[in-house]
Amino acid sequence: MTVAGDKIDYSAMNPTETALVIGGGVAGMQAALDIADQNYQVVLVEKTPSVGGVMAMLDKTFPTLDCSACILTPRLSEVSRHPNIKLLTYSEVTEITGEAGDFRVKVLKKARKVLEDKCSGCGDCVPHCPIQVKNEFDQGLGYRKAIYIGFPQSTPLIYTVDTDNCIKCELCVKSCERDAIDLTMEDEEIEIPVGAIIIATGYELFDVSKYRRLGYGRFKNVINALEYERLINASGPTGGNLMRLSDGKIPKSIGFVQCVGARDVKEGVPYCSRVCCMYGVKNAVMAKELQHENVKDVTVYYADIRAYGKGFEEFYQMSKKRFGIKFIRGRVAEINEDSKTGDVFISAENTETSELLEQKHELVVLCPGILPPRDLKELADKVGLNVGPDGFIAIEHPASNPVDTNIPGVYVAGCAESAKDIPDSVAAGSAAAMRASITLSKGGAS
Amino acid sequence: MKSGKFEPNIVAFTCNWCSYGSADLAGISRIQHPPNAKVIRLMCSGRVDPVMVIESFKNGADGVMVTGCHIGDCHYSTGNYRTKVRFSALQKAMKVMGLHPDRLKLLWASASEGQQWAEGIIEMTSRIREIGPNPINGGGLVK
Amino acid sequence: MSGEEEPKVGVFICHCGHNIGGTVDVESVAQNAAHYPNVVYSTDFMFMCSDAGQALIREKIEEKGLNRVVVASCSPRMHEPTFRRVVEEAGVNRYCFEQVNLREHVSWCHAREPKKATVKADDLVRMSTARASLLVPLEIKTVSIEPHALVLGGGVAGLRATVDIGSRGFNVTLVEKEANFGGYLRNLSVMYPNNENADDVIGRLVKEAESLEKVKMLTNSEIIDFEGHIGNFEAKIKNSKTGKTTKHNFGTVIVTTGFEPFEPEGYYCYGENPNIITLAEFEKIRKKGPLLRISDGKPPKNLLFIGCVGSREEDVKGHQHCSRYCCTAMTKAAADIQDECDEVILLYDDIRTFGRGHEEIHRMARTKHVVFSKFGEKKPKVIVKDDEIIVKWRDDLSCANMTYKPDMLVLTTGMVPPKTSEAVGKLFGLTRSGDGFYNEEHIKLAPLTTHTAGVMIAGAAQSAKDTTDSTTQASGAAVKAVSLMVRKTVEIESTVSVVDEALCSSCHTCVTACPYGAIAMGTTTDPPVAFVTEAKCHGCGTCAAGCPSGAIIMHHSTDEQIMTMLEALLQLSTLQGSEG
Ligand SMILES: Cc1cc2nc3c(=O)[nH]c(=O)nc-3n(C[C@H](O)[C@H](O)[C@H](O)COP(=O)(O)OP(=O)(O)OC[C@H]3O[C@@H](n4cnc5c(N)ncnc54)[C@H](O)[C@@H]3O)c2cc1C
Ligand SMILES: Cc1cc2nc3c(=O)[nH]c(=O)nc-3n(C[C@H](O)[C@H](O)[C@H](O)COP(=O)(O)OP(=O)(O)OC[C@H]3O[C@@H](n4cnc5c(N)ncnc54)[C@H](O)[C@@H]3O)c2cc1C
Ligand code: SF4
Ligand code: SF4
Ligand code: SF4
Ligand code: FES
Repeated sequence: MTVAGDKIDYSAMNPTETALVIGGGVAGMQAALDIADQNYQVVLVEKTPSVGGVMAMLDKTFPTLDCSACILTPRLSEVSRHPNIKLLTYSEVTEITGEAGDFRVKVLKKARKVLEDKCSGCGDCVPHCPIQVKNEFDQGLGYRKAIYIGFPQSTPLIYTVDTDNCIKCELCVKSCERDAIDLTMEDEEIEIPVGAIIIATGYELFDVSKYRRLGYGRFKNVINALEYERLINASGPTGGNLMRLSDGKIPKSIGFVQCVGARDVKEGVPYCSRVCCMYGVKNAVMAKELQHENVKDVTVYYADIRAYGKGFEEFYQMSKKRFGIKFIRGRVAEINEDSKTGDVFISAENTETSELLEQKHELVVLCPGILPPRDLKELADKVGLNVGPDGFIAIEHPASNPVDTNIPGVYVAGCAESAKDIPDSVAAGSAAAMRASITLSKGGAS
Repeated sequence: MKSGKFEPNIVAFTCNWCSYGSADLAGISRIQHPPNAKVIRLMCSGRVDPVMVIESFKNGADGVMVTGCHIGDCHYSTGNYRTKVRFSALQKAMKVMGLHPDRLKLLWASASEGQQWAEGIIEMTSRIREIGPNPINGGGLVK
Repeated sequence: MSGEEEPKVGVFICHCGHNIGGTVDVESVAQNAAHYPNVVYSTDFMFMCSDAGQALIREKIEEKGLNRVVVASCSPRMHEPTFRRVVEEAGVNRYCFEQVNLREHVSWCHAREPKKATVKADDLVRMSTARASLLVPLEIKTVSIEPHALVLGGGVAGLRATVDIGSRGFNVTLVEKEANFGGYLRNLSVMYPNNENADDVIGRLVKEAESLEKVKMLTNSEIIDFEGHIGNFEAKIKNSKTGKTTKHNFGTVIVTTGFEPFEPEGYYCYGENPNIITLAEFEKIRKKGPLLRISDGKPPKNLLFIGCVGSREEDVKGHQHCSRYCCTAMTKAAADIQDECDEVILLYDDIRTFGRGHEEIHRMARTKHVVFSKFGEKKPKVIVKDDEIIVKWRDDLSCANMTYKPDMLVLTTGMVPPKTSEAVGKLFGLTRSGDGFYNEEHIKLAPLTTHTAGVMIAGAAQSAKDTTDSTTQASGAAVKAVSLMVRKTVEIESTVSVVDEALCSSCHTCVTACPYGAIAMGTTTDPPVAFVTEAKCHGCGTCAAGCPSGAIIMHHSTDEQIMTMLEALLQLSTLQGSEG
């Protein structure tokens, strides 16, 4: 178990022996591990209370349907256990100065109000807390207390008090046998000298309510893909039972709508988000897999199915053949609701037959595109990094130097560079680690 | 198990590389097949001592499968050539033991052949169902 | 902890969310396990691999004094290393751990028969607890890592890996079979996504590699023999020009042997008219100068491209995959050539311009009025009549039947593994996926390492992909090699065989059985008895299975450890049967 952050004297770290990784998703974790394995020190800064990123929220993963938690969890513990990795969760980078081999980084360590070295993650405090709020990790579909962990495999396994919602009743403080809760704790700023930096801040999802015509936010049975992932996840809000939010019924017919907020110039997302086709197909398969007796019809509405990676095309074919998923090529024009039954109607043109369709589904899942995180530009400006027209970190020589940014000593990994699936994010994490460790070994840019 | 209904009990000696991979892939791809075969994981099919197979039958197994990488693909380069030779000898021994030759099956499957694994198990199980219970077992010769 | 100690087995059954728990009655399996011989503790838990699950194992080892641990969860191919580490942290030797596969082998493939699946789960757990009782701790061995990496294949991926390892300060030898470095990029002119010149890309990397002291680059060279294990590999490199063979020692290897463009014989009249070319040939021509018709040297007025030629064919082995570069390359080629022609038509199934900047190229092509037409399920038909090329297809979007007579027809073919890939794979112990490319250790979280420890893969050798994705993997594979070399040593498996001299009957059976020549007859005794050279033994057990005297003990896979599983399975089942 990592010892609490505040026991380490960060300011005394040796910059030529230390790298900073910003973002603890699967890409950032891989980068941290591959640098730490070279006997360098790594400070891994993660904004949320746990590492894991979006992958921790996913149920299964294409193209082999491994469960995401099963393959990720060991990685989480590896990161938290590695003697050379210092985890700063619930923290953000506020300032970066200096140059390759000698950066100074300021990190704001938000007050968790639970002492990292004392909390054992037992959860005894939770039933005592009177405040219940929506759990962001479950995409707001489930609930958590004001003292919480987002998900069972949270790493580090330390509770966090959500200051915005806490009413300071101190019931948790009294309940904790280890005296781990300190509601007076304040934010802390740490300065860390580092020699190389890796940006691995991942992505955000397109806000699908922007397309009013698709009904998200207006109709209960129109949800987005990440919500769906949580709905079918065993540790999610429904314990893995696929059901409609309106009435708890198992939907007999499900429609998946692809490219929502991708390949759309008007919405400012001209690019393809690379993973949506495949996660759409995966989630369609999962509906059949989980409820093969109840779910009779699963239809995917798409423009092109971009099953590009290793084993993807094969998976796509299998979804049609073995699972009987229907594919309709056509952009969805509009979604309406039958307010009595909660069923939803998709109006679309089947571009292959030129037919105008109106299809009834009991649940519709919108598959949103991938955007750069809102604060990526701000972070980039702190270091002087260029961002591309798509808003992701720019790369000068994508063919020969695919993870090098315009600033020597600063590298990028995973979706911070552009949408990617897990294996590509992992490979990019390793690649950024390679480049960063070269900078460290040379004591700066060569 | 309920009396009356015969559920074949099949032992599958499976090498850790290709064939175990194919069994995993059958699961990963959710290719459904009967639960009658139980895998004993060995590093290579070359580890299967014919005595183990004979003992399986003596102890009442209704069927025995030896599974490995395709010839030429053995993780230990030539381990499964031995398997092949030993297997032919075993097939002859089946006669001597008075057992139906179909109770013994050799299956080569690569790590990308989940379907082959599942089909192998389906075939074997239904074949043994036809042949019926192991007569040695039925004859009360269990150790 | 000694092997003689009385076994105290702890059994931990994992729900894996509802992956296992949704089918198998996990609680009853755990309850039943409590009654098996030597089991002193048995429980079930939501996620055994989670921090909490791992903590539970450690806690119970301490509390109950467990010295053997059985975890029934997913495939050992996934988590055996995880759990071995966990038990070791609590002071139990890693070889006293046994994993049962209740997910891939039970719940996932018997999902519709929960009762029978539970019976099978019981059987498997019973077998493994029996085996666990007979497991013995083995000594953990380490080997040193020779600080020298081998990179095989001098394409863009191999060059990238070489530069990275060399820059990090380690020795690296790059072996290329051709006379020049650069791989396929030597055939390309202006590349997507940013119109960079392929020669510049290669030039930049070659220059950097050449400037590095620790880098050795060999052309016209091939590996003809490869032996050893992680940390200490020995390669024989043959120079095809001089015919000279040299021996080298390496600690780690990166295989970047790339791909070949598919030659579409038998597709769309390829070969029947010189003006029917592949995209690869198109690029080669464009690299040298303007595009001219092969038949008469005149510039073509109109062109037609067909996508996915020999790719995405559901039932054709080796052609099922998508090649991941072709849609974008074809779209870019079409957009570029549109500037020089009257009309460019592009026939496709799906347009997979998925990467960064690719969709933008797709849009640009459309803005330039490249005509995109989707053919869908039914592939186009090409007829060669006299000197004419006639293409007929059904446009899926307008549902109209089309005919077109292009001056040139460009067939966009996918990537296939090089012809030598099978032989090279065998040399390094690499398995291949259905499409023939090399298999990674884990398709998601370990895409660069392989099942042969110390051997990494990157670039198109791992699966079809473009340059950016290839070089990303190459840097990633390089870091794996570097980490090993930095750490200097690595732990290896102790699962080797030994000969019990007292039982050996000097029959030589094992000597001929061993695929690695690890067994020889000693000279010190008369009659001579066999002995195993541990460093050469890979632990397959072929010798033990063959020995007529039972003189070979295969560590971690002894006869007794295997037989006890058989007995546990069969004897109890009989019992169950008679209980009826
Ligand atoms: C619905 C859906 C399903 C998917 N399914 C699959 C699948 O089946 N298979 C597959 O391969 N891929 C899938 N993906 C893609 C997968 O999620 C990504 O490939 C992967 O999560 C990328 O990892 P990452 O580390 O780059 O980014 P992220 O997972 O986004 O991680 C980034 C991390 O950085 C943190 N962070 C952000 N900004 C800051 C900051 N300023 N300071 C500190 N920390 C910060 C974030 O909190 C987060 O923890 C899916 C995606 C979606 C949306
Ligand atoms: C027509 C076409 C157009 C393309 N256009 C683009 C583009 O615009 N942009 C882009 O990003 N990508 C493009 N690509 C893809 C690009 O070519 C590949 O991504 C890239 O070449 C992969 O690099 P690599 O090093 O993995 O493999 P390769 O380039 O295939 O290199 C492999 C090297 O290994 C050597 N080798 C093989 N076997 C052995 C052996 N046994 N021993 C020693 N050496 C060996 C080979 O001789 C070769 O030099 C295109 C591909 C094609 C076919
Ligand atoms: S704060 Fe206290 S009660 Fe809450 S989880 Fe941590 S140790 Fe347990
Ligand atoms: S003090 Fe805050 S976190 Fe603690 S119990 Fe009260 S509301 Fe919940
Ligand atoms: S176990 Fe295999 S590699 Fe080892 S000595 Fe026996 S036959 Fe040779
Ligand atoms: S390793 Fe599979 S048969 Fe030898």
